[in-house]
Amino acid sequence: MADVKLSNIKKSYGDTPVLHGIDLDIKHGEFVVLVGASGCGKSTLLRLIAGLEDISSGELHIGDQQVNALAPAQRGIAMVFQSYALYPHMTVFKNMSYGLKIAGKGKDFIDAKVREAARILHIDHLLERLPRELSGGQRQRVAIGRAIVRDPNVFLFDEPLSNLDAALRVKTRVEIGKLHKELGATIIYVTHDQVEAMTLGDKIVVMNQGRVEQCGSPLELYQHPATRFVGGFIGSPKMNFIDGKVAALGGDHIEIQLSNGCRSRACVEAGDLKVGDPVTLGVRPEHIDERSDAGTMLSGDVTLVERLGEASFIYLTLSDGTEIVVRGSGESTVTTSEHIKVSFAPHNAHVFDSNDRALRRLKAGNVHSTAELAQLKAVGQEAF
Amino acid sequence: MSQPSSIQRRFPWHILFFLAPGLLIYVTFSVYPLLDTLWLGLFQEDETGQRFFAGISNYKTLLLDAAWSEPFWNALWNNTKFFLIHMLVQNPIGLFLAALLSSPRLRLSNTYRTLIFMPTMLSVVIIGFVWQLLLSPIWGISEGFLYSIGLGQYFDAWLGKESSALITLALISVWQFVGIPMMLIYAAMLSIPDDLIDASVVDGSSAWQTFWHVKLPLILPTIGMVSILTFVANFNAFELIYAVKGALAGPNFSTDIMGTLFYRTFFGFQLQSGSITMGAAVATLMFLIILVGVMLYLFVVQRRMKRFQL
Amino acid sequence: MISLPGLKHNTGKTLMTHAVLLTYTVIALFPILVIIVNAFKSRKAIFKDPLALPSLDSFSLAGFEQVLGRADFGLYFGNSMIVTLISLFFVLLFGAMAAWALTEYKFRGNLFLAVLIAMGIMIPIRLGTVSILNLMASLDLVNTLTALVLVYIAQGLPLAVFILSEFIRQVPKELKEAARCDNVSEYKIFFTIILPLIRPAMATVAVFTMIPIWNDLWFPLILAPGESTQTITLGVQQFIGQYVTDWNAVLSSLTLAIVPVLVLYVIFSRQLIRGLTSGAVK
Ligand SMILES: Nc1ncnc2c1ncn2[C@@H]1O[C@H](COP(=O)(O)OP(=O)(O)O)[C@@H](O)[C@H]1O
Ligand SMILES: [Mg+2]
Repeated sequence: MADVKLSNIKKSYGDTPVLHGIDLDIKHGEFVVLVGASGCGKSTLLRLIAGLEDISSGELHIGDQQVNALAPAQRGIAMVFQSYALYPHMTVFKNMSYGLKIAGKGKDFIDAKVREAARILHIDHLLERLPRELSGGQRQRVAIGRAIVRDPNVFLFDEPLSNLDAALRVKTRVEIGKLHKELGATIIYVTHDQVEAMTLGDKIVVMNQGRVEQCGSPLELYQHPATRFVGGFIGSPKMNFIDGKVAALGGDHIEIQLSNGCRSRACVEAGDLKVGDPVTLGVRPEHIDERSDAGTMLSGDVTLVERLGEASFIYLTLSDGTEIVVRGSGESTVTTSEHIKVSFAPHNAHVFDSNDRALRRLKAGNVHSTAELAQLKAVGQEAF
Repeated sequence: MSQPSSIQRRFPWHILFFLAPGLLIYVTFSVYPLLDTLWLGLFQEDETGQRFFAGISNYKTLLLDAAWSEPFWNALWNNTKFFLIHMLVQNPIGLFLAALLSSPRLRLSNTYRTLIFMPTMLSVVIIGFVWQLLLSPIWGISEGFLYSIGLGQYFDAWLGKESSALITLALISVWQFVGIPMMLIYAAMLSIPDDLIDASVVDGSSAWQTFWHVKLPLILPTIGMVSILTFVANFNAFELIYAVKGALAGPNFSTDIMGTLFYRTFFGFQLQSGSITMGAAVATLMFLIILVGVMLYLFVVQRRMKRFQL
Repeated sequence: MISLPGLKHNTGKTLMTHAVLLTYTVIALFPILVIIVNAFKSRKAIFKDPLALPSLDSFSLAGFEQVLGRADFGLYFGNSMIVTLISLFFVLLFGAMAAWALTEYKFRGNLFLAVLIAMGIMIPIRLGTVSILNLMASLDLVNTLTALVLVYIAQGLPLAVFILSEFIRQVPKELKEAARCDNVSEYKIFFTIILPLIRPAMATVAVFTMIPIWNDLWFPLILAPGESTQTITLGVQQFIGQYVTDWNAVLSSLTLAIVPVLVLYVIFSRQLIRGLTSGAVK
């Protein structure tokens, strides 16, 4: 068993702090995705877990052992690099067997291991080639194969798909998902791509500027983003944000006076909010209906319509200048510069306080959950 | 520019303008003299200074006539030793220093590099004199130094002894030029992607194993290049020996190399007068030696090493 | 070498690295420093305590006085300057022009000329000395600085053409094509667009050209050994040959030859090392 446990992990380069205290619990066999904007410290965190960088403070446990001071090879991990990092002067076979050879394993053992991994990855016929004689996708497989032969407890992937073209990326993504099931090992996977995160992860860790913003299942992040950052990060197109003020507090909802003059109801716990407090209302494009009166009504000028076939993204500018996106039907007849009215239901509204923390939603998930998630995945596929 | 006459092309004056000045000087003062030297080697002069064609008789004399062949083989063998000492001492030290300098996050790395490279900038002649003084038993500075670290009894007038003069000179040259392999290999090491080194650390290899299995194979082409540069420079060397030991390359020709032999043959020394044609013959042999080395490098070494590059 | 993070002996390893590098740095610099330091001491102090710094007692400029009195180091220095700078200028100019012609234009004989020039990188020009001397004699150039300049241009061109060609190849095609569409002449394209663009490469070439010329003994010894045309390297060599036993003078003349180069090196070392490690020379 190899649970991975991070307790208040901090990292600074010289005087520059990069990670500000990361706590994470990863269960054996979990597929955990670290996601966040470029430069937020994902790779750094992964390299700390791998042992390629010193941990400035905090504790890292793999299994029941504290591994802060262990060399990478002693941690039972294997890593797949973004650039693949294949040894250019070694054949595929030698690339995959190098670690085992260093570990002093016998020739037969190595041979069996490498062939087994090659079989799983369908690269048996490439074993005698040099990396430069391989395509991008094949190199990727070799890099994964090199990790597999080490029989690690934990696989570490650093943006493994970002050097592949779009079609291959989707295909490899599916295969990595399958591989996880087949190997049953723990995987920690870094990406900046939220679709990869949503589709692969059992658990997603959203990072922002060296901190964990939120950690949870894909659905949890989608339905209950804990902060405005997560709300905007998960989902495509992004969640719409409209500024407003608390106008009234109800039992199971609050009323918000929006900056464009509308008044909206949102089914959230008020907490210690008071009337007059500034808040931000968030609502996802796929939760706004064109021309209906599902709840709160917004009206604005259409500035652009993107037609994707099964859906249309309608870009609206509200009266106060706020821009929002609506996911309309594929057959939508709306055209640019038209003035239209759209609406959304109170239970689909997210509300963030002045510190960008989300107020607890009261009815989310009970209404649309599975359908919504299916739709979200569909959106993700299109993004490629 | 062989265009059909229907399209009357102007003569490309601009190409001539760009090429002519450089080419003219290069051909006149480098290519022509070299070819002329190869040609001159086939002539001899009689007492009146009249030149006549003599075929390969200069080479016969040089390689077979004991009066000539002994100095020739001696110089060639000395030169080979001179080269081997560079290969065995200079380049490994350069490699070692480069490996140390490329340690990640090493402070002062630039300063070390700059300072270690410094002697390379100075004239070989100057360096020759500097070491002649330092090793001189009269001044005794080396002797004093050796005594201070307890090795005093090993001191000797190394530059003056037949058995040690050549080795000492070679080591002086190594001392001066170690910066070149260091610099070139260092640059090659920097160009190895960090991920590759990280990958081998994750694979469990020690610093030494990473160096041996990953870095070294990847910088092999650079080591090949350093070797051929060393070869050409060594078989073309002259100044150090001339500055320290004079044209006679003493004691008893024990430090004579091709460059000094060429100089003496051409200009004469003591009783023997110089010979232009014999000098040309020696130069031709030097040319052939260097050519063989360069060809070996280009067609054997470099070809095989290309494979490794991604 | 890699330091395994998190391991205790990490700092020990770093210390070892510094110790080795520092030791080698001392080995590289110490001999030169000993010479320079002793040049400023009296004869007695040179022998009594060679490793001591000059003190009030032992300080002496006698060596420098003798050197400057007996040999015209100013002249030698000037000669070296003239020869080096003029050769450098023409190597850069003609080298860039030839590199441009060979990389930009397709014409018959292009490949042949490129190979001919490339050969010059590996085959030392010294091997043609016999004929060069004949040639200079028939041109009446023996014992002139012109002879040295001509030979050094021929010597420096191949590497210059090689390095500059690499850089010229990297100049985007669009720049030249845009200019040609505006009917700019080939001469103007070269002098106003290409030359300014390859300036960084010129710095690298300059370093590689200058050092061998400044330090050369062979050609000054053979082509221009006359008193009025001696370069600094030859001048020092001859001077020391004459006054071997005058330690003050020998040390001072060496110092005079070393210090200017070191000062220039310290000023330009950044560019120089960047040039060496930039991969321009492969
Ligand atoms: N070796 C280093 N030295 C100094 N700063 C670094 C180093 N490596 C990364 N950083 C900084 O740490 C931050 C996080 O980098 P990284 O973990 O690579 O981000 P991500 O992988 O999320 O894009 C960045 O701001 C980066 O500039
Ligand atoms: Mg990264």
